[in-house]
Amino acid sequence: MEQLEIKALVQSVLEETKGIEGYFVVRAQSRREWSMRLSNGRFERVATGEDSGIGVQAFTEKGASGFANSDVLEKETGRKLVEKAIQLARRNEGIGSKANRQIWMVPPVQEEVANTAQKGFAEIPLVELEKMVMTLHSRLSSSFPKGVWQSSYRQVEEVWCIGRSDGTLVSFVIPRAVLMHQGTVRNNDKAQSTLIHRSGMDATLLIEELADSILEKKAIDRAEFALAVCAAPQLPSGHYPLIIDYGLAKGLAHEAFGHAVESDHMNESVLGENGKLRKGLRVARPGVSIIDGPLIGDWANQPFSANGLPRQTVTIVRDGVLEAGLGDVFSAEEAGMPVTGAGRAESYAHVPLPRMSNIRLLVEPMLPLIPEEHLMDEVKAVRETLLKHGEMLAGEKNLLLLGYRGGQVNPKTGDFVFQCDGIIDVADPDLPIYQPSIFSGKILSALEAIRGGLGEGCYDAIGTCGKGGQSVASSGGSHRYLLMDVDQQVSLGGEQA
Amino acid sequence: MKLVAQLEDLLYKAQRAPKSEELRLSAWRIVVHESEVVALGIKDNSPGSVYTPPSYRQGESGDVFLVWSDGTCSQTMVQLPFSSDPDYWPRALEQWKQASYEDPDAVHIPAPESLPLVAVEDRSIKSIITGDDKILFEQADRWLKDIPKNVKMQGSIQAAWGYRHVRTSTGLAVTYQQSQFVSGFSFDSLIGAGFAKRRLIRPEEQEKLWLQTVNQYQWMQKEASPVGANTQVILAPGMTEDMVRQFILPNFSGDRVIEGQGAFSKESFLDNKPVFHEQLSLMIDPFRPLELGSYLVTPEGIPASRTVLVQDGQLKTPYLRVKDAVRWGAKPTGLPQGTAGLYIKHKSEAPWLELLQGIEDGVLILSVLGLHTQDSVSGSYSLSAPHSLRILKGRIVGKTDVKLSGNFLADLAAATTKTALSELDNYPYLMIRTGVQNL
Repeated sequence: MEQLEIKALVQSVLEETKGIEGYFVVRAQSRREWSMRLSNGRFERVATGEDSGIGVQAFTEKGASGFANSDVLEKETGRKLVEKAIQLARRNEGIGSKANRQIWMVPPVQEEVANTAQKGFAEIPLVELEKMVMTLHSRLSSSFPKGVWQSSYRQVEEVWCIGRSDGTLVSFVIPRAVLMHQGTVRNNDKAQSTLIHRSGMDATLLIEELADSILEKKAIDRAEFALAVCAAPQLPSGHYPLIIDYGLAKGLAHEAFGHAVESDHMNESVLGENGKLRKGLRVARPGVSIIDGPLIGDWANQPFSANGLPRQTVTIVRDGVLEAGLGDVFSAEEAGMPVTGAGRAESYAHVPLPRMSNIRLLVEPMLPLIPEEHLMDEVKAVRETLLKHGEMLAGEKNLLLLGYRGGQVNPKTGDFVFQCDGIIDVADPDLPIYQPSIFSGKILSALEAIRGGLGEGCYDAIGTCGKGGQSVASSGGSHRYLLMDVDQQVSLGGEQA
Repeated sequence: MKLVAQLEDLLYKAQRAPKSEELRLSAWRIVVHESEVVALGIKDNSPGSVYTPPSYRQGESGDVFLVWSDGTCSQTMVQLPFSSDPDYWPRALEQWKQASYEDPDAVHIPAPESLPLVAVEDRSIKSIITGDDKILFEQADRWLKDIPKNVKMQGSIQAAWGYRHVRTSTGLAVTYQQSQFVSGFSFDSLIGAGFAKRRLIRPEEQEKLWLQTVNQYQWMQKEASPVGANTQVILAPGMTEDMVRQFILPNFSGDRVIEGQGAFSKESFLDNKPVFHEQLSLMIDPFRPLELGSYLVTPEGIPASRTVLVQDGQLKTPYLRVKDAVRWGAKPTGLPQGTAGLYIKHKSEAPWLELLQGIEDGVLILSVLGLHTQDSVSGSYSLSAPHSLRILKGRIVGKTDVKLSGNFLADLAAATTKTALSELDNYPYLMIRTGVQNL
């Protein structure tokens, strides 16, 4: 369904709300997806799909809300949803729910953002995409036959339109594409897997990968590394000076700090006090900044919130001091922060929650690092740079954590854990490799331990934010590597010391 | 016209009288879900907040698998069309043909077999959907009245009911009703409990779940002594289930085994290699009445069947969808729905309270951070478990923070591993000897 059709539908549903007491937010979404998966040189699945629908969030005059949605995109269904949503809102008012009238306070917006993709969704026929992905998969499998490879490609186009009772009508298109290689290697009767991706807006990324093989080279390097990890010893658990790659840094920024400054979390956030953001709190050394905001062409780009407000770029931490949070219209004021259009939802069928878009962690001053084509060459370059600038902490292991496998944080207690693909001691000229082990601790201690950045900014680490049981695209990064001091509240797991 | 009827009409025509020979189908299958869901949430002790309002969802969508006369196949997800354009479906069919690919192992559509009788619908859930929803609001109200002092509670209650239609070109045409009830709550984002079955929770189950969580919360308020090198680790039932989801489920998926992407090779299954302790078995049972993992027929039209994956510690079979079964040279097996429908059984299970009394020095792990980040193929884990419960001399005495490191596949193979039955869960308490350190 096209942008204009969706806009017309949302307008017609909003017409139905006229004469009904209350306030309405109508969200319609049409999503197209093509995906394919290859394993060991064969297609395992090629799928096409569409998922469209409409969601209506209704508010009574007193501010109680109800929500109704359907995957049928039509005016009559929209009318029924309006009735159902306001009926639920009135029911909700009757049980003494917490009223929220903030939506009445925001100014109306009317804007349309066109698709920024270089290639239209169906511009390259699916059969051509299949050929390209098969070529890339076969090339990788023949370049590294010791691995069992699975390749997948997915391209998605989401058309959104959000209308409100105040006349707001915004619509935008989000194009997204990703190519992934997952490899399984075996060594010493142990198996290890590795997953690597390249993202973009559309099938252009396949054309680029066919030309430059950037992902293929990374996949081979990571598979070689995984082979070495299979046979590697475990580290004694303890506290070490650390160097983390930008994928892990994105995880740290997203899980540890981003969620802790979302406006709906202030009652249970380590960065909140009495329900308000602890603005002015020194959380890191001078020079450390954390910024969140959409980037055009990025995996997690979204120009407007799911409540129809412009998405703003927010400096969460400036020069080590907590400055701002990610506020949506409903909880920003209560959390003591401005509304920044942070509400995002997985789909029309979900209630939007404050959440991040692209979050990046930056440190000044930065040590220069020229990126190398191959992983171990870059690790050597990291070692040499640290030695050259006197940043290698003498007499102990300086551990480089590679690859982000995900993480989890309890924002109330500030406990975090992250997992990597493997670890290298760059203080040892032989660059010994160790098994991955859990990187855990307290988020404020981890932030305080950041002492430097290595290399230019890389912000294309992608993921999926699972807050509230939804799945929403997220992204971010940092310098190519971040340096962290030893901290007694930040540790690596592993064998008992 | 219902989606399933529109699809049947389209696909029969494409099989018998296609617009062109290129668009002729030789076989197909469809599964369509029609569902309605009502839900209510609690955020920070407030029912129906702006983030968790009472909600209603109506959905009608399906998955289509097509085999074309040239032997290629296509897969797609479908919904009711936006407009009543008579060309919508014929146009869609042409697009699906363009997306076709070769997968000779996948094109087999089995002939229909008789279906078992399995209870998957609770009529009282239907009445919630059709308007008698006070049970949801009353449940939320009861929780809020009983919250321990100074606790911030989050919660959710969801009831779903609908039809499931499965059709195949080989003659299977089955429609049945199914229901689902899921509820859960947590205190201070530290501790929680949940229920998920195809029936409503019974008052006594709700009461026990609540009491257990309140007790655990109270123990959390008291710091206990640190663990030592010999401390026994006990995984709570929810934790056992989480470990099975991360380390067991993916390694028993037929496609992963066949492609060499799992922890066990195909030969290991064919040789019935012992991988777990001889007292342990693992099975899929879709027949248990009103369990979340129970069903009548798979989306591929295969009748539900009980399947033993591990018998007395020995590998028997991975779970096999139709395509995997063709490649494996066996019949398709029963399928788990996530961890639902998958059961772990130890020959000498004891009730939890009995086992607890015999633990001199232990730690009960209720949850861990970062489990989803662990490598499922290797089975190794390195996890942080803040807010675990310390057990000394057969009693829970307070809270402690620990780290765990070990290998779950090795844990299930160890002779020292024991299980204990939980009254409230399908998964057992799992008592293991593994690396444990203070956090």
